[in-house]
Amino acid sequence: MEVLLFGMIAEKAGVDRMKVHAASTHALRQLLAEKIQGLEALSYSIAVDRTIVHNDVPLQGHEEIAVLPPFAGG
Amino acid sequence: MSEHKPHRIKDIFVDGPIDPAFIATSIAKHATRTDIGAHEIFLGQVRADAVERANGEANAGATPGQARSDNAQVTAIEYTAYRDMALERMTAIREEAFTKWPSMTCLHVHHSLGTIKAGELCFMVFASAPHRVAAREAVAWVVDRIKAELPIFGREVLSDSTHLWKTNS
Repeated sequence: MEVLLFGMIAEKAGVDRMKVHAASTHALRQLLAEKIQGLEALSYSIAVDRTIVHNDVPLQGHEEIAVLPPFAGG
Repeated sequence: MSEHKPHRIKDIFVDGPIDPAFIATSIAKHATRTDIGAHEIFLGQVRADAVERANGEANAGATPGQARSDNAQVTAIEYTAYRDMALERMTAIREEAFTKWPSMTCLHVHHSLGTIKAGELCFMVFASAPHRVAAREAVAWVVDRIKAELPIFGREVLSDSTHLWKTNS
């Protein structure tokens, strides 16, 4: 699956999208922490199909996944 | 000119700063709506915040070897957004606002993307209603919801050429 990265997380990763394989949002967090140095120190949310999920959610692989650092609109 | 069209996703994003002349034109367009008795407008402007760097924040925004000033200030914000999610959230917020303030005649929201310099406008929420209370309450509520829920990101460009990432508290 392709994961969209934004803001300071895209900056840290050096890319704004990344291909990964994760069976759940929890597994995705672990995978991203390995791939993106310093990610664990940041607060971020995961959106599945444009809705932020708080619990561990299973992923089929066809969802639109985004990794969102703190918002700064306004 | 009914602005309330449920389930229709409106684009709120504009490239670059919001031109004050655009705001004037936007107000003028409401002259034909003589059921309106009150307009309320919130405008967000990029502020030249002085950056306080605590000890231990030594590398914030600085690339190795880059000089960092202790009294840098924000010269611009570069806005990016997760556009599809932001517009979906905005549509939901808009519909909720019309449910909470059914007398509201119309609601216009614009947010900048790209580089907005200190002193320029980056955000506009404009509500109109027959009476002032609905317009005033709706604008305050919509502004707060947008700041909390829309995936918009701001890279603050500082006067010493380093940068920080803006975070809404």
